[in-house]
Amino acid sequence: MTPREQRIFGFVVFAAFAVFVLVLPQFISDFRARDYAYVGIYLIALLGLNILTGYTGQISLGHGAFMAIGGYTTAILMAGNEQFGGPIPSGVQDIWTLPVAGLVAGLVGLAFGLPALRLSGLYLALATFAVAVAMPSTVKRFEEYTGGGQGIQLFGLPELTGSNAVASGEDFSAPATFELLGLTFTQNDWMYYLAWSIALVAFAGAWLILRGRTGRAFRAVRDSETAAVSSGVSLARYKTLAFGISAAYAGVAGGLFAIASAFVNPDTFPIALSIFLLVGIVVGGLGGLSGLVVGAIFVAFLPLWAQGQDLGSVLPDSVIQGDTISIPILGDFLFKGTSAPGGPAIVYGIVLILLMFVLPNGVGGLFRRIGQLITNRRYSRAK
Amino acid sequence: MTRRRSVVLAAIGAALAVTLPAAFAGSAADPGISPTSIVIGGTSPLTGPAASYASVARGANAYFQFVNSRGGVDKRKIEYRIVDDAYNPAQTVQAVRRLVEQDRVFAVFNTLGTESNLAIRDYLNQVRVPQLFVASGATTWGRDAAKYPWTIGFQPSYAAEGLVYGQYIARARKKAKVAVLFQNDDYGKDLLASLKLGLGRSGSKVVAAEPYQVTSSDVGSQVAKLKASGANVFCIFATPTFAIQAYVFANRLGWKPLVVLNAVSGTSNIMVLASEGGKNKLVEGTITTTVLKDPTDPRWHNDAGMKQYRALLARYAKGANPNDVYHVYGMAVGYETVSLLRRLGANPTRTALMSRARSISSAKNPFLLPGVSVKTGKGDNFPIQQGQLQRWTKGRFVPVGGLWASKRN
Amino acid sequence: MLAAEFTDFMQQVVSGLASGGIYALLALALVIIHRSTGVINFAQGEMATLSAYIAWALIVHHSWSYWPAFAATLVISFVGGIGIHTAIIRPVERGSVLRIVIVTIGLLVAINGFVVWQWSGEPQQLQSPFGTDVYDVGGVVVAAHDIGTITVALGIVLLLGALFRFTKVGLALRAAAVNPEEARLVGVRVSWMLGLGWGLAALLGAVAGMLTAPTVGLDPNMMAAVLIYSFAAAVLGGIDSPIGAVVGGLLIGVLLNMLSFLSQYGMFDWFTEELRLPMALLLILVVLLVRPQGILGRPEVKRV
Repeated sequence: MTPREQRIFGFVVFAAFAVFVLVLPQFISDFRARDYAYVGIYLIALLGLNILTGYTGQISLGHGAFMAIGGYTTAILMAGNEQFGGPIPSGVQDIWTLPVAGLVAGLVGLAFGLPALRLSGLYLALATFAVAVAMPSTVKRFEEYTGGGQGIQLFGLPELTGSNAVASGEDFSAPATFELLGLTFTQNDWMYYLAWSIALVAFAGAWLILRGRTGRAFRAVRDSETAAVSSGVSLARYKTLAFGISAAYAGVAGGLFAIASAFVNPDTFPIALSIFLLVGIVVGGLGGLSGLVVGAIFVAFLPLWAQGQDLGSVLPDSVIQGDTISIPILGDFLFKGTSAPGGPAIVYGIVLILLMFVLPNGVGGLFRRIGQLITNRRYSRAK
Repeated sequence: MTRRRSVVLAAIGAALAVTLPAAFAGSAADPGISPTSIVIGGTSPLTGPAASYASVARGANAYFQFVNSRGGVDKRKIEYRIVDDAYNPAQTVQAVRRLVEQDRVFAVFNTLGTESNLAIRDYLNQVRVPQLFVASGATTWGRDAAKYPWTIGFQPSYAAEGLVYGQYIARARKKAKVAVLFQNDDYGKDLLASLKLGLGRSGSKVVAAEPYQVTSSDVGSQVAKLKASGANVFCIFATPTFAIQAYVFANRLGWKPLVVLNAVSGTSNIMVLASEGGKNKLVEGTITTTVLKDPTDPRWHNDAGMKQYRALLARYAKGANPNDVYHVYGMAVGYETVSLLRRLGANPTRTALMSRARSISSAKNPFLLPGVSVKTGKGDNFPIQQGQLQRWTKGRFVPVGGLWASKRN
Repeated sequence: MLAAEFTDFMQQVVSGLASGGIYALLALALVIIHRSTGVINFAQGEMATLSAYIAWALIVHHSWSYWPAFAATLVISFVGGIGIHTAIIRPVERGSVLRIVIVTIGLLVAINGFVVWQWSGEPQQLQSPFGTDVYDVGGVVVAAHDIGTITVALGIVLLLGALFRFTKVGLALRAAAVNPEEARLVGVRVSWMLGLGWGLAALLGAVAGMLTAPTVGLDPNMMAAVLIYSFAAAVLGGIDSPIGAVVGGLLIGVLLNMLSFLSQYGMFDWFTEELRLPMALLLILVVLLVRPQGILGRPEVKRV
């Protein structure tokens, strides 16, 4: 394919995907729409992280912290912090907090990008890891702004769109609907469309940034800093820019995350979140965008899937029936299934390791290889 | 399967008709109730730092399976869905919404953790799904019952517990100087505040209080500071791992105060660990409170309730450690849930469940100490408000005085 | 009055050294794996926890006495470390740094899950090899276990120094890490050496685990907090320097206790217990920025 054909092909695929996203809620249960809203939210964060890590080559193990900044910005603007003795009144409608969340996180990202200039590789990973680990304690320290460990409750606030939704009929736990702009939404559908409209815009935005001059500069920094400098690319400028853009994406995702959970506290942005995000871009494929959709699905659903697995099902019957096997030293080994405490973590960890074995370039790499196969066939046919 | 609702997007919506399954019409049963089953669900940390509390859910589930083997409740089997939330409130929200909206549970049961329950309380009250027997001792579950009628707690509140310790110290020691190690969150702060309330004007007072973070590696520095305060009573308001550390460090410093330990950690297996094979003398004489029968206490060796406990655990929770008292808690709360469900009759509804939950009078829970009753009624929204002070004496807990009962919470 | 305050102060220093000794031990394991394989092993803490549980299981479930269990645990951990390298690390060794990081994170999650699954999340107690004796030095109490821990850490530094400086294996280990291609050309079996590095790190981790458990309590998550302080210790001392790891660990332990102690007397009164961990991590950031090679490390020479 010529570059022009490729662009048209890419555009068609994107348009088809957008239509798919638009109609999907019609074919799934109301609650599923909520699950997929989280996929959209993670996708936004992964797009941002991939700009930094996949395209510019800077590892961040701390993107959960930028999500936390966005999440807290949204929550504080909506609920205010006067209830904890802080200065900010409540009253900003949820969707209008999102640009602010992105902006605040983006500025912090730019500021962090400056010192990060001096670090590379594993050292940067460690530094960002430190930021994410320190975040929950820091939030607790400034209780009058953040509500401390108790967190900020958003559910039921008038600032939360759709909080006045009511269920029709006897069953109050049935999907409740509300009107907005002349359309009828359930809360879950609203969350889905909100998350995905932003995700699609974010996707297009990332694509535009990466295909131009800036994107080329990012890739030059990733491939060889020395070469980049000698061809006139300013490391300081592009590294901090990548940090800023990336953090802004994470901030918006964090704001949406706060809206979707209708609650934030320090435990809602644990270090595990930062790690999940990194896993998400590696699964999705570093330095590609389309694979990230799969990465986001992975981040949203793997922990849930891991709980449903019974390790016993791959073992002989006698073992499943609560029989014990004696293993030297470890003691009697009882197959309890993964719903037992600790079980989901075993499955999750093993899947993570196996994925790194079988998909070294992530799903994006797989997509590209399939793409190449198709192209090659076309060319060979043309001959 | 569920009622389709939707965004009516003019272009697409027209083509896709919204369907309302006829099955729903005519049936008055609440979600989660079928002729053969009652589905309830709750979150519990199966992974992460709080995974040891998962024993509560396992104990409850073992009791439900036993009831199911005897025909269930009104021929309905209880299906208890335990979902992992890794002790992260954001995951609790998503998991609980999944239980309510997708799995269509009748009630959300025994969800663990103060912050996790706070995160879902407004939602559950809006959709009118019972938030039954919350596994947390925060005072708010009982105190704010008028605002949150669909939420009810279970265990004695931390506030009641702290008050009892304060009153005990005021009685037992003249002009005691009290040092407190507390977890730096609501649970620790609730205990500390009510301890001070209990000490009142007795002349005994708190001379030093040191917080620790759950992210601390050890509490050696805090214990050294508390010892330096010259206190002669040491209150440990900490989770088991940190409580054991507190004993180890205080002993190393040669500090010999009277120790008061909160109920979360005041179990025999923890005391045995803290005694470092008998070398740590500080453990002897520790005061704590409980409502549960201690599975390691020889007093209950032939007790019918505890015999049943051991049999059920061995049968329905294979591999579980019977000495872990959290399993007893689980069975106690499971027992109350079953008796509550039995009182609902042939057509259980959520509304009836909550109204019965506000009028419990149960004095014979076989897993609670004799005399401890589970009681709610008009103006009383705290199911358990009693406890037994006990003292660790020569390798086991010995009751101190009679049962205490708390009026204020 | 001042004397009493001085005693309190010294007690805080001692308590800081005790915590620091623990950070130092795990930091040593991090340093050895970084030095011999160029990897930062996020699973190092959980590997140490697993080792401590193995020692505990031998003593409690199999009625072994302490020292045989200790020795057996070292052997099992060493072999286990090599095994982990062969089975899990080698397949991704040639890929990006990120893949290795994620594999070690997967390992962390899986081992933590396994420990909870097999032995439940309840805390347990592992005895100290140095007993429970304490010494009173002018009112300041020092525990035998803490002296033992720091002595072991320093002993390990000497042994590692000797290994890297005076033995052929040590030289080969360094060569394999610094420049695998050239090392291969001069006949070093690089993958064996990397495996050996993992084995050594696992062995040091086992020592760390068995000496940490008596103080903080044997618990599936006992190393979660320690690991982060150990990262700070390793970075502070210089991530390739064993002696730096020990000095870094002790410094961090004492420094944090000092802040906390002085905040009682009006100095650093912004410091509260919540800031203990953030302060340690701020230290990582500052050190990385001002002196990336740490206080005792040698600067890294970048190749183009």
